Amino acid sequence: MQAIQSHLFAVREYLSPVLKESKFKEHGRITPEEFVAAGDFLVYKFPVWSWEKGDASKARDFLPADKQYLVTHGVPCLRRATSLAYTDADEDAERLLSFADSSTPSADGDEWVETHAGRKASNANAKPGADHSDIAEIPDADDDVAAGVGSLSLGGKESKEPEVIDLDDIPDMEEDDLEDGDEATAAPKPKAPAPAAVAEPNPAEAAKGNLLQVRTYDVMITYDKYYQTPRVWLIGYDENGTPLTPTQIFQDISADHAHKTVTIEPFIHSASLQAASVHPCKHASVMKKVIERMNNSVVAEQLAQRKSPVTSPKDKDATKKKWFGTRKSSGSSKDIQAAAAEGDDEPEGMRVDFYLVVFLKFIASIVPTIEVDSTTSF
Amino acid sequence: MPIVQFAPFASLVQPSLWHKLTELKIDILKLSDAAVPITGSYSIGRSVKDRETGQEIALPCNLTIGSESFEEAHKPPRGSVFPVGTLKNYNTIEDFKAADKTTLFNYEAELIWDHILKTRDTAQLNRFLLITFADLKKYKYYYWFAFPAFVSKPAWEIGDEGWANAASEFNPEKLSSIHGQLQTQPTHLPYFLVKKEASGDVIIAPVEDYEKFYASVPPEAQTIAFVDPSADPSNPGWPLRNLLAYLRALYPATTSTVRILRWRDSEPPSPSATWKSQIGTLSVAAAASLSSERPSAVGWEKNPQGKLGPRLADLAPMMDPTSLAAQAV
Repeated sequence: MQAIQSHLFAVREYLSPVLKESKFKEHGRITPEEFVAAGDFLVYKFPVWSWEKGDASKARDFLPADKQYLVTHGVPCLRRATSLAYTDADEDAERLLSFADSSTPSADGDEWVETHAGRKASNANAKPGADHSDIAEIPDADDDVAAGVGSLSLGGKESKEPEVIDLDDIPDMEEDDLEDGDEATAAPKPKAPAPAAVAEPNPAEAAKGNLLQVRTYDVMITYDKYYQTPRVWLIGYDENGTPLTPTQIFQDISADHAHKTVTIEPFIHSASLQAASVHPCKHASVMKKVIERMNNSVVAEQLAQRKSPVTSPKDKDATKKKWFGTRKSSGSSKDIQAAAAEGDDEPEGMRVDFYLVVFLKFIASIVPTIEVDSTTSF
Repeated sequence: MPIVQFAPFASLVQPSLWHKLTELKIDILKLSDAAVPITGSYSIGRSVKDRETGQEIALPCNLTIGSESFEEAHKPPRGSVFPVGTLKNYNTIEDFKAADKTTLFNYEAELIWDHILKTRDTAQLNRFLLITFADLKKYKYYYWFAFPAFVSKPAWEIGDEGWANAASEFNPEKLSSIHGQLQTQPTHLPYFLVKKEASGDVIIAPVEDYEKFYASVPPEAQTIAFVDPSADPSNPGWPLRNLLAYLRALYPATTSTVRILRWRDSEPPSPSATWKSQIGTLSVAAAASLSSERPSAVGWEKNPQGKLGPRLADLAPMMDPTSLAAQAV
């Protein structure tokens, strides 16, 4: 059934025309050229992202051969989304996030509500259904976290889950005589702290009792021709580097979206790879709302700057540095060209280069514990 | 003085590697179990700040392999180091179990040692070995990594002050200068030498240029740096071990005490943060093996149960059409 559906979607996408006109402000959709421009901007600003060419047989001709999709590896995910269940008690933890440049007074309506601000981790907040048994204990900071986490034994505790690896499947070939104990190998210290370990003040002491199980994700962004929006794909690993099963991935997706908008599907740039994907059917409308809000504030800001008669060189620099600067974009669209043609009379508003940065903030709300949004420092 | 303990590599195999291996196995390798050259990658160890507790959490010291590991002309992303290795896939689980692991391991260690003595090529210092068995019908992949590292006897010790922030030795301008020079290198250097010029500038050079670069520099003023995949503040990453063996083997006169820079800044820090790189002085008893005989090596990866044994990637939930169909309902 799912295979048929996937094929149907593939055909539908094949038949749908490539979007030519830029309409990202009107309905939140972007053209492939704009996707590339926004991707270039993302890669430039945040080098953790890079372009990939993908499987040559799956290359899409409306995108440059070496810029088929964006990828970032090893995105950390410290907690499960199920531990973020939202209750009324959390409402006072909401905090307004301002997107306006801090140098200017922020215009109305350009704030977002950040929930869970300053929230303390608490196991009691976890959903009753959350499985506590699969949470590993945090190793001490003077321990070798890498080695420690990698060696914690979880197998026995997870045996309730149907998809977990059966230990009997692993061939019985432990060979402890393969190498002698090596004093210079950082031991998995949560079990046996080596006496020779450098005794340093323990910065994570305070975090004791706080349970962490660090997963990492590979995140891909592709362009969906049918919905004319970017689309996000996830491949997850647990703390041992073992690929996550779909059930485990759904633990990292907010309850509103798991199994509804997030499904496991064949990754479109690979012949056989499967990945979890956020279905893009609602992306355009959400992006439209967000862009409208941001655009209004940006336009207001640009107008304000134009009105001020004296512009010192310093101010000019500041304007240029902004994301929405008036620099011409490579993915220039009719909108932008029109705005450029009218010269300084019409403010340009938000530029399409910024689309993916906004998009990541939107995705971060679907996968709240995966730190896809590396742009917060920005 | 405390013994230096190194954080071992933790393997991270992207599922795409198993897909690629399946393809290779069916279309090209077939029943051959000859060794296949592969490349892995590691980069500067990352730590993430837990937004709820404010703690820095060190991420595992990963060596990653993926589908591109089989491509010879693979172009690495910026800032990653690309160790080469050997993949050996067995046809049956019995062969996999019966593999002569000691011989395979020693062969790889011998290659590293040969490169130290003959080519002096530091790119070969992080060679690794991967043995696999692919159960294609059940989508199960058994694998076992080895990262050979030479054992120093007696062990290296670190001064009582431990690892200090690099800012204690190099001011921020110097560190950004090092960062800038690393970016302009034709290849990303896994190891490099740092020298303070009389003018106050710092310059870097590949470790291969040791003799020329440090010709007029006394051993105390030498700083040897490596790209550190470990984000743990007290345990340097695995690649340092073979670098130390390299230095002892080739330049025994000047390297019984070395100052090591753990390079941990892939990007210059934001204005509010500090440089993460660390510096420490390591020393070894002068009597440590100076012969050209190969020291013993260790480095088989432990499995999640903490034992020396193979790991298992069970991709049935992500590859088996039956489970995928069940998932989609």
